[in-house]
Amino acid sequence: MPRNSDDEDRKLYSERPEWADVTPVPQYQGLNPIAPIFYTPQYKDATEYFRGVISTGEKSERVLELTEAIIRMNPAHYTAWQYRYQTLIALKSPLDLELKLMDGIAIQFLKTYQVWHHRRLLLTALHDTPSSSSSQPAALAELAFISRVLMVDSKNYHTWSYRQWLLSYFDDVHLWTGEISFVERLLEEDVRNNSAWHHRFFVVFGRGQQQGEEDRPEVLKRELGYTKDQISLAPNNPSAWNYLRGILEQTKTPFSNLESFVQLYVSSEPPKQDILDLENPAPGESAELPCVAALEFLADIHEQAGADRVQKAIEIWKSLGDKYDTMRKKYWEYRIREALASS
Amino acid sequence: MAKVERDIRPTPTDGYPSPTSTIQAQTENILRNRIPSTSTLPSDSTKNDGTLQRNSHLQFLLRNLVQGFPARYVSQDASQPWLIFWTLQGFSVLGVGLDEQTKRRAIDTLLALQHPDGGFCGGPGQFPHLLPTYAAVSALAIVGKPGENGGWDQIDRKKCYDFFMSLKQPDGSFLVSHDAEVDVRGIYCLLTVATMLNMLTPELLEGTPEFIASCQTYEGGFGSASFPGWAIRDKDDIEPGEPLLDPSAPRPPLGEAHGGYTFCATASWIYLQPYLRTYYDSSSAAAAPKINTKSLLRWATHMQGLEIELGGFKGRTNKLVDGCYSWWVGGCVGLVEGLLGFGHSNPLHSESQSKGEDEGMKGEDKENEEWDDVDDSLFNRKALQEYILYAGQHPAGGLVDKPPKVADSYHTLYCLSGLSAAQHRVTPSTAQKIVLQSLWKDEEVPDDETEKKLQALRKEAFTSSLSWLEEEGTEKYVGGSQNRLNATHPLFNLTVTHSEGIMAHFYGRQIPSRASRSTKK
Ligand SMILES: [Zn+2]
Repeated sequence: MPRNSDDEDRKLYSERPEWADVTPVPQYQGLNPIAPIFYTPQYKDATEYFRGVISTGEKSERVLELTEAIIRMNPAHYTAWQYRYQTLIALKSPLDLELKLMDGIAIQFLKTYQVWHHRRLLLTALHDTPSSSSSQPAALAELAFISRVLMVDSKNYHTWSYRQWLLSYFDDVHLWTGEISFVERLLEEDVRNNSAWHHRFFVVFGRGQQQGEEDRPEVLKRELGYTKDQISLAPNNPSAWNYLRGILEQTKTPFSNLESFVQLYVSSEPPKQDILDLENPAPGESAELPCVAALEFLADIHEQAGADRVQKAIEIWKSLGDKYDTMRKKYWEYRIREALASS
Repeated sequence: MAKVERDIRPTPTDGYPSPTSTIQAQTENILRNRIPSTSTLPSDSTKNDGTLQRNSHLQFLLRNLVQGFPARYVSQDASQPWLIFWTLQGFSVLGVGLDEQTKRRAIDTLLALQHPDGGFCGGPGQFPHLLPTYAAVSALAIVGKPGENGGWDQIDRKKCYDFFMSLKQPDGSFLVSHDAEVDVRGIYCLLTVATMLNMLTPELLEGTPEFIASCQTYEGGFGSASFPGWAIRDKDDIEPGEPLLDPSAPRPPLGEAHGGYTFCATASWIYLQPYLRTYYDSSSAAAAPKINTKSLLRWATHMQGLEIELGGFKGRTNKLVDGCYSWWVGGCVGLVEGLLGFGHSNPLHSESQSKGEDEGMKGEDKENEEWDDVDDSLFNRKALQEYILYAGQHPAGGLVDKPPKVADSYHTLYCLSGLSAAQHRVTPSTAQKIVLQSLWKDEEVPDDETEKKLQALRKEAFTSSLSWLEEEGTEKYVGGSQNRLNATHPLFNLTVTHSEGIMAHFYGRQIPSRASRSTKK
């Protein structure tokens, strides 16, 4: 099957004898549409033949060629994708070949939803019993493909959610084991990559309590240690602080356990540490202090402690609203109102 | 402009640069030059005085509507009802009505997108899909009317409902189209249409609140979907009467907290409240699902950028500000305020100023002084308006993600809607809800228990969603009232008038005019 990506030499479908039996269907009939799009002749031609094909329900090799041509001109054409998938299934086409073809298309159009969903349909159809041992190599190969794409675009939303789906769907221990080090590699490149932080949370906690429940205290310790280290490198990183909050809430660990760590980040000067405290890594010399996220965290500790410490929380919120985080003044005032109302 | 001291410190990098901080710093350099008082550029064309370039935006919309879209919009060929909705709603927010002939053409075009099997398509001959269904029905709310060729009565609600049901998944979610993905955008679109067109049923909504709740991430915002596989039990293991889903199984969110999904999930959650109130209270079978409103509020308010970013909103943690999140996240803060019970009955609003008085005090210095007194919204409305006015307007018309990008139809609407949401406070009004409830007569209540509940659901959907009204005296216009836009409904992104119009029709209720009521007060 010819799979040419450059369509400059490609003749219009209306000029190709092998398409002469299809009646092209114009888009709007008997009506002057509002807000029309000016299509290129190639796109107009291909979509008219596509509508012609849909109207007769034809599912054939040439439909695969036609839908591919449309997808390359407009990868967001969901109907072309859906009809292509239905055609592949109807023809019992080799889906592994389709997956290969999609590798190039995915990298070219990686911001498109449909590119990723199509892969998911293919993987699901190829491995409808995902836990079988024969599925494992395919899933590993797919994971490697996703990694390559994430190297090109490390925050691509669809790529990340597809990776998370893949891990869950195949749910094989060999798939999950490499994920933590994969995340760490990405965070080494960019400690502020929130997608990578979210993925870490997904990997560590997404599977829930079914997996390795007995290791949970160890896991929490490891996660706290890792996150604190990352915060010490770049303290003003909301991704890391959100992760810290996330793991504490997930494991129902009181924020106050982190009080001595957080204290290192709330004054204007880096603390003088005579003894190296590995549990509580201090901010580096270039850190810009006080760190807003640390102030917020400390205020939450005070609020949770209740009683007279609520007043301390209020003082911090005031300082955030007036000085350190003025954009959110209304939010900090709200926190004060709420705390006063419930104390 | 009154000289306001601005804190334009850049986002701290802690001497530890990374790709995120590098691109952030580049963006801050561009944006800070848009702040009139701090620009380091000599006088240049990129600056503007904070006036909404109403006329050039109108020209932009008009050109798209009448002449059409250039070839690069081929990427939107499967989103044709969206192009129409973005344009028509842009006119509504700008306060511009359309002539009958344009409305007629819009209705005809939209109806050509209805699929014979129900729902609307991205273009003629395409397959039906939840997103274009939402856009087409919303556009019809603007231009349509009852009767032959009016557009409203030509919507095949029965088939649309069947189409919706055919997309339903065991975990309470919906595919956006056959053989397509699941995500919360689709659910927002479905719930908007089902609410507006009076199509809600318990069968349609079963499991959907649980699904929405499962998409909330540890950050507080919502991701695109969740993984259903571990919760869905083997059919053979289920005793009769037991739920298909294991309530204790993990259903982790797929993808991080994101502005678009968070708006859709939060709005969906509000749409689902009538169902939760009607069907969960009495049945002890299932505990009502919950979302974490506190962490949602924290996340949404933290998406507002710093002063150096002009207070625009980001869509994800550590990403760049973008004009469209003015609506998706700025608007979402308004939704969360509604969930928290902010609104007309809030005592903070009891001393509302009269409109006339407010108009008279538009002096520039007054503006800053007065701002805080009337404003109890939880994000910085003033800064968001500045982002859109200073950084969001393209000199050639239309609005943008951020400079130096070109304007497009999508960003034009969501910047305008975001600006509107920052100018007006539209919140649930208890008084309005009571007025709307009185439109149902006691003798209408059916005897049959199932029917009774269904009626309660629909009545509650109608009265709750139309209880959102603008609070008088709380509007604030950066740059003065010449920049005023129409208020837009926080759930529908339609004007309140258009929302009331279409819903009154499909629920068969006559809504008393608001103007006549407010003079009676
Ligand atoms: Zn945008």
